[in-house]
Parts: sequence; structure tokens; C-alpha cells
Amino acid sequence: MSQGEGEEHLVPLWGKRSLHRLPFIVLGDLFRSRNLLKLLVKRDLNARYRRAYLGYTWAVLEPLLLAVVYTFIFTILVGSSDPLYPVKIVVGIIGWTMFARSLTTSAKSLSSSINLFQFARVPKTVFATSGTLTNAVLAVISLTSLIPFYFISDLPITFNLLLVPFWLMVLSFTGWGIGLLLAPIACKVPDVLNLISFFIRAGFFLSPVMWTYDMFNSRFGEGWHAVVAHLNPTVIPITGMRDAVLGEPSMIPTYAYVMCFSFALVGYVAGTIVFERKAHSAVVNV
Amino acid sequence: MRLDGITLEYPVPRQYRKEDIQSSGVRKISLEVKQGEVLGIVGRNGSGKSTLLKIMAGVFPPDSGIISSWGSVSLLAGVGVGFHKELTGRENAYLYGALMGRTQTQIDELIDEIRSFAELKHHFDRPIRTYSSGMKSRLGISVATAFKPDLLLIDEVLGVGDASFRKKSEERVKEMIAESGTVVIVSHSLGLLSSICSRIILLENGSIVSSGEPKQTLNDYSSLLNLD
Repeated sequence: MSQGEGEEHLVPLWGKRSLHRLPFIVLGDLFRSRNLLKLLVKRDLNARYRRAYLGYTWAVLEPLLLAVVYTFIFTILVGSSDPLYPVKIVVGIIGWTMFARSLTTSAKSLSSSINLFQFARVPKTVFATSGTLTNAVLAVISLTSLIPFYFISDLPITFNLLLVPFWLMVLSFTGWGIGLLLAPIACKVPDVLNLISFFIRAGFFLSPVMWTYDMFNSRFGEGWHAVVAHLNPTVIPITGMRDAVLGEPSMIPTYAYVMCFSFALVGYVAGTIVFERKAHSAVVNV
Repeated sequence: MRLDGITLEYPVPRQYRKEDIQSSGVRKISLEVKQGEVLGIVGRNGSGKSTLLKIMAGVFPPDSGIISSWGSVSLLAGVGVGFHKELTGRENAYLYGALMGRTQTQIDELIDEIRSFAELKHHFDRPIRTYSSGMKSRLGISVATAFKPDLLLIDEVLGVGDASFRKKSEERVKEMIAESGTVVIVSHSLGLLSSICSRIILLENGSIVSSGEPKQTLNDYSSLLNLD
């Protein structure tokens, strides 16, 4: 490019982006950075298991080992007699882990990736998204831990199984949106990360990981307790995943679906707007 | 690239807010970097040199002022900044290329050149955690200059490696300049700056206090240092 040509093409680096178009602009940025996204996901997967002898097998073993522990607690200590309880636990763990990791990695993305966006102008949403995609790959690998249950418990194989990746996607999308929303403030005020860590630990018990939707309904019924429970964005997707895996009809009321999808969508829109408006100035403090 | 009245001030830490401490950063910087120009930046530690480069790279947004740019911009800062220690030199080179906005094919075409310039031989396919700091710097300079951004910003990394690699790096930067690449370089190596820069600016407390011919600006810098 000649000097004159360069000067003709001068464009402001921090031009205003219209607020209502931000959720779409973010998707466009991610599409244009797909090669970088692919390499970041590959990097995260390699870095996670490269030095482990069992490699990716850990992604399958982790939910299985946890299921053994929780099944032991519930069947031996609490006295549950449900023969499908172990498989319900594995599904709960996979779904919850997907949500929790998506939320945490995207909320931490600004402070943890500062080294990467210090030498080139890259959309910062790429780093929040790469962590979420890495966790999605791990969740899909973890799903193979369900295969033995189809032989042991003689579970039906139905078209409903196609809903498992759909619900995983909803969990991942919701966690990603909330993470984007929290990332700028977590970058400025590190205490927010401690709070997130607390809510993730508490959320594990408040979400249907060790308990199921049926258990909740039989104890509290359809009253205000149910409405409050549906405010937890993981209740419907995890229950949907369980129903799909077990081939059971869904007992979820329509309003709960509406609440679940609205939560995911509002989280994404608010997350992208806040992230795009605040993330750039937040990294100055890191 | 053009900067008009750029200001960015870092917040003063809470425990020092009651004291009369001036916040650090850069203030009202107006500057134009022309195509093919090699601009040097000198100044004492904490004068705002690295902050100015980060603003120019588009990493930090200014509090006020307008910055306009064209083409691709890359910032080479620190030893092995951005490299992942568990990935090999080759994998890191691909990642760096993608960060620069290059496609897989474009990186494929340059990967042999990167390997050969960095002189890492078989270490190129070993994890970065096994590298010495000199090896990381060689890889960093090799990758950053191979992708030939329209504007390369260099922050204190050319004086790394052994004497022969330093010479090679300087030659690579000179080649880039000859190919009409534009370079902004921060360095405490005044000899290097006076040999490659067409213009040097002197920063003090976040503001430009001198700008012009290398010899004149470096004299001003020496006078400033002697005042202390």
C-alpha cells in the first residue's frame, strides 16, 4: 500500500457500534475468527490432557467416578431404590459441568487471556467462546460414558436422543451468555470470580444433579416452589436431557420451556451488549 | 496511523488515592506515523511508551481522543508473550498467525520460513516449556516479522538472543522497512534506534516532550537523564 493509499483508508479504531445490532455483530466477529477459534479450542484440549497418560479418557471417567460416589451416597446411605438413579446422576453431572464450565471460563476469559490479545487486535469474545466450545467438545466426549447403561439397564434407543445435544447446547449457550455479562466486572473486581465460584458450588446442589424433577414435584407439587425452581436456568435443560436419555415423556409445563429459552436469549443479548461496551476498558486494569 | 489528542490514564490504586499522586498513562498525544517510516520512542521507565504502543495496537481504548489506522497491526512485546507453554513452537506459530488474522493456508506457506529464521531446528516441534528465554524470543521475532503486518510495533525485544541473532533480527526489521513496512520501536538501545529510525519521539510523564531527527531527540533524552 502506498503512503497516499494508506492515508485514504484511515479508519477510526474505536468507532461506535450500534447497541441493538451488537448481538449480531458478535456472531459476525466469531464467524470471521473461526480459524483462530478452532486453534484455541485445539490448544485448550491439548493443554488439558497432553501430559495425562489416560488422555481424553478422563473426560469419560470423571462423570462415571462421580456417579459412583453419588449413587453410593443415595442408595446406601439415603436408601433410594431407583435402579436408574446412576444414569440420571451421570446425565446431571454432564449437563451441570457443561453449564458451570461455560459460565466460569467465559467470565474469566478477559483476565486469563490478556497475554493473547496484548499483541493483536482480536475480538475479545473469541476467548470467551473458545472456552465454551472446548467444554462442549468435552461434554460430547463425556456422553460416551452413557453407552454402558444402554446395555446394563436396557434403556430404549429412541429419536428423543437427538434432543441430548440440543439441551447441551442450551446449557452451554446460557452459561456463555451469563459469563459474557459478568466478564468485564470480573476483570475489574476479582472478588466477582470468588462469588461465581461460590454460586457454582451452591448451584450444584440447587440444580437437578443429585435430585430429579420428579423428586421435586412429588415433594413440592406445582405451586410457587415450582415457579421459583424454574428460575434456575439449568433445571429444564438437565431434565430434558434426562428424559431424552431415558426415553421418557416430558412432564415439564409449557411456561417452564418459555422461561428457560427466554433466560438463555436475554442472557445472550445482555451479555454481548455489556461485554462489547465494557470489556475493552476493563482490560486496562489487568 | 494517526493519533489525535489520545489520553489514557490508569486508575490510581485505592491506598494511594488520598495522596497527591499523578496517575500514569499517556496524555494528549497527537502523532502521525507515515507509511514506510521507522519511528523510535524513548523515555524513562514509566513514561508511557508501552501504553502508547498498546493503544496503537488497538489493545487498549483511549479515554479520549481519536486513533485511526489502516491495514494490519501487530505488537511484539515481551519474551514469549502469548505463547502457550504446553504447545510446540510450530503450534504456537499457527496460533500467532491466526491471532494476526491469517488463514490456515497463509500460515502453511510461511511455516518453513518461520522455522528456519528462528534457528530452532528440532526444538520447533517441542513444547515451549522446554525453551530458554532466548529461544522463545527468537520464535517470537520470527513469527511476528514473518507475517509482515502493515504496521509492526516492537517493544524492547530486539536486544535478545546471541550476537548473531540480534544482527539477524535487525536485518529482518531493515528488510521490512525496505519492503515499505512501517515500524514503531521502543528501545533503550540508543545505538540501534539512531541507526534504523527516521524519527524519534521522547516521552516524559505520558506526554511528548521532544520529536524530530534521531540525533536531536537522543540529545534531549540524554539531557533529561542528566537532570536527575
